[in-house]
Amino acid sequence: MMKKAVELVLLLLLLFFTPHIMGKRYSPPGKPTLTRCRSPEKETFTCWWEPGSDGGLPTTHALYYRKESSERVYECPDYHTAGENSCFFNKNDTSIWVNYNITVVATNTLGSAFSDPVDVDVVYIVKPNPPEKQTVTIMEDKGWPFLRVSWEPPQKADTRSGWITLIYELRVKLEEENEWEMHLAGHQKTFNIFSLRSGGKYLVEVRCKPDHGFWSEWSSTSYIKVPDYFHREKSVWILLTIFSAFIFLILTWLLHMNSRSLKNCILPPVPGPKIKGFDNQLLKNGKSDEIFSALMVSNFPPTTSSNYEDLLVEYLEVYVPVEQELMQEESKDLHGGCLKCERSTSDSDSGRGSCDSHTLLMDKCGETKEEGRHTDRASSRMLTEAQRHQKGWEKDTLTYAHGDMVSPDMSNGRVKTWPSVFSPLPQYSSNPLDKQSSLEMAKQHCLSTSSCLTQPGHSTKEALGPSNWDFCLGNKQPHLLHPQTQVGRQLQAHSEVNISNIGRKQAPAGLQSPALRSTEYVEVQRVNEEDLVLLQPVVSGCGRIEGYPQMPKGKDYSKVKGVDSDNMLLLQREVMEEDWCPGVDQEINGGTGNCYTSSTVNTTQKPTACIHTAMPVQGDMALAMNGYVDTATMCTLPTC
Amino acid sequence: MRKRGVWAVLLLPYLLTVSSPLDCREEQGSLSRCPSISQEKLLDRVIQHAELIYRVSEESCSLFEQMFIPFPLQLQRNQVGYACITKALPIPSSKGEIQQISDKWLLHSVLMLVQSWIEPLVYLQTSLDRYDAAPDMLLNKTKWVSEKLISLEQGVVVLIKKMLDEGMLTATHSEQGLFQYDVQPEMLESVMRDYTLLSCFKKDAHKMETFLKLLKCRQTDLYNCA
Repeated sequence: MMKKAVELVLLLLLLFFTPHIMGKRYSPPGKPTLTRCRSPEKETFTCWWEPGSDGGLPTTHALYYRKESSERVYECPDYHTAGENSCFFNKNDTSIWVNYNITVVATNTLGSAFSDPVDVDVVYIVKPNPPEKQTVTIMEDKGWPFLRVSWEPPQKADTRSGWITLIYELRVKLEEENEWEMHLAGHQKTFNIFSLRSGGKYLVEVRCKPDHGFWSEWSSTSYIKVPDYFHREKSVWILLTIFSAFIFLILTWLLHMNSRSLKNCILPPVPGPKIKGFDNQLLKNGKSDEIFSALMVSNFPPTTSSNYEDLLVEYLEVYVPVEQELMQEESKDLHGGCLKCERSTSDSDSGRGSCDSHTLLMDKCGETKEEGRHTDRASSRMLTEAQRHQKGWEKDTLTYAHGDMVSPDMSNGRVKTWPSVFSPLPQYSSNPLDKQSSLEMAKQHCLSTSSCLTQPGHSTKEALGPSNWDFCLGNKQPHLLHPQTQVGRQLQAHSEVNISNIGRKQAPAGLQSPALRSTEYVEVQRVNEEDLVLLQPVVSGCGRIEGYPQMPKGKDYSKVKGVDSDNMLLLQREVMEEDWCPGVDQEINGGTGNCYTSSTVNTTQKPTACIHTAMPVQGDMALAMNGYVDTATMCTLPTC
Repeated sequence: MRKRGVWAVLLLPYLLTVSSPLDCREEQGSLSRCPSISQEKLLDRVIQHAELIYRVSEESCSLFEQMFIPFPLQLQRNQVGYACITKALPIPSSKGEIQQISDKWLLHSVLMLVQSWIEPLVYLQTSLDRYDAAPDMLLNKTKWVSEKLISLEQGVVVLIKKMLDEGMLTATHSEQGLFQYDVQPEMLESVMRDYTLLSCFKKDAHKMETFLKLLKCRQTDLYNCA
């Protein structure tokens, strides 16, 4: 018993350790595995296996297969066609109707090993060969190149009869890139590739797959180089860019040229103070004296005409109709001491109304020219009339005076009177200069006559009420005018010839036909409290306007010296060296003078002297002065 | 051999036991574990096979006609004294008959047709080889057709076995009496005979295809099949 057990143990040990004692390990072969079975055209197929460990002993492999429905086991018909560890099934052995159950057996001396069986359906293991005869060409489509790839199906695959239907796929990439671009071609055997890079080198490959099966391997690579072509789109963009840049430059230039006007349009300048003479720099400097001195306008406020007489001017415009005859005697301005030239006519600030002396005088000048002509003719008649009708004039004068007094436009406070002046001088014409001279003469005569008139005027004094009109019948001959001197109404007389007045004037002396034609204007300076209109002689005619200047010093003006107790205006003659004669009765505003005029009484003697003295004056006194009484004329009282 | 037979015997139970389950899963890219092809797949394949055969036969017939048959005789092929060899077969010929026939008979009809044309096609092949100006394309086509026909036969057999659970039907080659060889016929007659053969085969191939498609239609939708 013991021996048997020991033998068993020894046997077992031997069995176990025999391989180890042998020094080498032999074992049955490892299990082989079928790796894959493939059919290229669905008519034949091949199976490959992987053998396991061989166990150190030479091992043989065998492949057995069984068809689906039968129990019969077949061995692989061909071990060599497909290479090592493969089995090739030819056409006769391949059936698409049945599955194959395949097993590989590895066998060595020690044992055998069976692989796992694999069922194979031939239709599903089809992996065709890659497409053949692949070609790539460059073609052009309206200047844009593209690749055309064409190929043939693998030769073994029977696509012609439809036994196998294949779909194709190709891939493209640039030589320097890493990623392929895939394109599925379907059943067609050509394909176009667009959007190529100019001058690039492309690689193209194709593969195919049956309906049920595996993708084939990629075909051999085809190389193609795309020729260089100019990008037409780029050229268009370049042109567009250049064009727009050009337009942009032009716009910028235009903007720059018109920047100022645009700036004014968009941002209009803020109006600053525009004060004449105002200097911003001075303001910035901070010197106020300079600023205000700069602001000072030289002639503001008007200081030259500093006589406030001017400022208080209210002119009473007296309108004298053409038919009327006016006689005035010069009246003096009774303010202050001296009569000054009335310059306010030139001054726009004189306080005159709309009836500016300028314009009115202009009109009147024109009129008076006409009138003068008329009056010349008429005056002759009138003078003759006056001779005859001496008495009537008083009333007329009154009336006229009244009329004249009433008619003038007092609304604006300025009255202008244009009493007619008769001038005996025949050379009177419409010439303004002549007028003036005639006026002078008329003045003289006027005064003279007035003085003459004053003499006998007592008879008529009462008749003439409110008005004092001096009718001057211009003539060298002393004649009479009836100066209506009255305190209340005294008007300066430089006026145009008034026909009717002339008619009235019956001069005690022969009244010559007054050829007086001149028009002189009298300005009413003011109306004093005693209802006395103060007239001022104004430059007559058109010439007056232009030459209406400051009162020239060189003129022969008389100043009112004063008024004496008898209400006599004392005139002072400024320029004349000759002695003065007393003048007419006038209202005296005061004044001094070396020439005193008394009223009526003394005048008889004087006229001649005055006349004489007045003669030379005629030429001198070209202008009718403002505010100045022509004492010369006054003095030269006509010899009555 | 003995060894192999022993191994086969040994393997047999192993194979049977280790076989994968019966339901097939179609997996592309991997070895199918399905032991048998499903009936539907099989029928599709058989139909596809028949379609191909018909198409190729039609092409070859037209090719032959263009080359060898003068125009006036093209319209007369059926009137010539060469009737189709399968005329005698009990095959339904009208639509009414086809509708009445059962699936079994359809399949059997197909099988009969296929089996009856295997030999004549072999003869045709030899006859065409004798021609001088026969193009290779024509020869290849006819050859292809004869091969595929054999394959089709196998498929139909499997199909019958699967559908009808019938045993293996061996090819009845005893029906070769239908076809009789003429020894060295004249050229014209040979041509005409070949032409007749091709055209008849074309018609029969179309019949096969039609039967199989009808069968398929019956499998899927019984009521819409005509």
